[in-house]
Amino acid sequence: MNMLLHELKAYRKSTIIWSFSLVMIIVLFMSFYPSFARDAEDFKKIMEGYPEAIRNAVGFNLGNFFTILGFYCFPLSFITLCGAIQAMNIGTSIVSKEVREKTADYLLTKPVTRTTILTAKLLAAFISIVITNVVYIAAASIMVFQVKTGDFSFELFLMLSLTMFFIQLIFLAFGIVISVIVPKIKSVLTVSLAIVFAFYFVGMLSDTTGEDLKRYFSPFKYFDTAYIIKHSGYEASFLIAGAGIIILAIAASYVVYSKKDIHSV
Amino acid sequence: MNVIEIKNLTKTYGKARGITDISFHVEQGEIFGFIGPNGAGKSTTIRTLLSLIYPTSGSATIFGKDCIQFAPEIKKEIGYLPSEVFYYDNMKVKDLLKYSASFYKKDCSKRIKELAEIMDLDLNKKIDDLSLGNKKKVGIVQGMLHEPKLIILDEPTSGLDPLMQQKFFELLEEENKKGVTILFSSHILSEVQRLCNRVAIIKEGKIVTVEKISTLQENNYKKFKIETKTKLDKNYFNIKGVNNLEVNDQITSFIFKGNINDVMKKIAEIEIANLWIEEPDLEEIFMHYYEKEPDKR
Repeated sequence: MNMLLHELKAYRKSTIIWSFSLVMIIVLFMSFYPSFARDAEDFKKIMEGYPEAIRNAVGFNLGNFFTILGFYCFPLSFITLCGAIQAMNIGTSIVSKEVREKTADYLLTKPVTRTTILTAKLLAAFISIVITNVVYIAAASIMVFQVKTGDFSFELFLMLSLTMFFIQLIFLAFGIVISVIVPKIKSVLTVSLAIVFAFYFVGMLSDTTGEDLKRYFSPFKYFDTAYIIKHSGYEASFLIAGAGIIILAIAASYVVYSKKDIHSV
Repeated sequence: MNVIEIKNLTKTYGKARGITDISFHVEQGEIFGFIGPNGAGKSTTIRTLLSLIYPTSGSATIFGKDCIQFAPEIKKEIGYLPSEVFYYDNMKVKDLLKYSASFYKKDCSKRIKELAEIMDLDLNKKIDDLSLGNKKKVGIVQGMLHEPKLIILDEPTSGLDPLMQQKFFELLEEENKKGVTILFSSHILSEVQRLCNRVAIIKEGKIVTVEKISTLQENNYKKFKIETKTKLDKNYFNIKGVNNLEVNDQITSFIFKGNINDVMKKIAEIEIANLWIEEPDLEEIFMHYYEKEPDKR
């Protein structure tokens, strides 16, 4: 419990900043919606002029783009990208910061098992992400209700918003497994940005071809917003893939962390 | 009862570093010195005891329990002070010590105050703003606030000024009187001589010898360097007790252990230009230990 509180405190600032930034982005984007809805017809014509591959790559769907939920998907993909960076950052830094700041000796000579340490750290990261999501979804809900022009399904809106949370969990798991395997990470941001963007671009490439198999390579493509809006549900196979990745990565982290040598500085 | 018992402990990593087949024990209530040059394997041994690293082979027990298997339980009674201390920079000293205390299920606030007073430590400063010596003091308080039964010190005096060093040693002696066992690793012979009852000497990952400090002190080594006016016979100083004899034109040097009068008489018989008699440094004593035949030990 003491470690959990300590970690939460350490990430308090970063959680506040990330939450605030995500809120700012969604407020900004959604405030465009009223004027956007007015010009909908003209815009539709312009977009029809673009090839389908490009429309798919930027996450554009003509059918529902002009409903509020369709419009919401557009900033959401960007928000998700930011969220993934946040999660990857926390994941990568939460163990590696002890090595970088040379406090690993301090923590590991205390009467606690390494499993307990990792659990406290994982929980702290998880809570930070939950807090970010709660703040974000609250702000986004308020915004959506403010700018809506017609009725929409709030349930669907929540389902769409939660995709960020799921993707964050996947990247959190990635980050943690990297931070226990790599002996010393000098710059967390470089590592996390590189990995998140790599997956993002892989996801964009897979979109242009439309093959389902390729979507497995990028967590960003596990949740197809058009599919969610159409079917009011997630794609089970991708949910399983995501859960599998998370479980594997976390399990591997526990094994590696409890067995690895902590070298002096 | 043996507080620490190390049996054939081996840790290899990479090529040169590591420890090979280390065995020794530390008895209840003694101050045990662990001495060797930098890179000899002192820290490796200590880090294995603390289960920061895992042994390649061999085992160690602390309080009769395996130091890996029962690590969290054992660590409740261990205080550890590393040679370089690092803490969370943005914390206040007070908060860090509270955080440390929160790992032990007892009230340590009184002891923290006592120790901070003895070590003259300002509890309200930020860790980041502390000097090296003051950080070290935090380390000392941090390592002793839960009144451990075993204190493990890894080259603890670096960064402490002589006055603080003195206070720290007094603190250790006081704890020792209460029955606390201390493992004191150092590369400074005089520190170990001042504090310890017994000492293990380690070099290149191997224990060279385990001796009582009193025996070590009887072995009074002197380093001689003599400059003569004429070239000296190579074997002139080759008498009992002379080691590492080197003759280089007019300069002869060696390490001597034994009755110093024997050497002085020899020196008196020749014409000398200059003479240096020094305490040998640790490295040279190690050299000596290495050259010793195993059966003579």
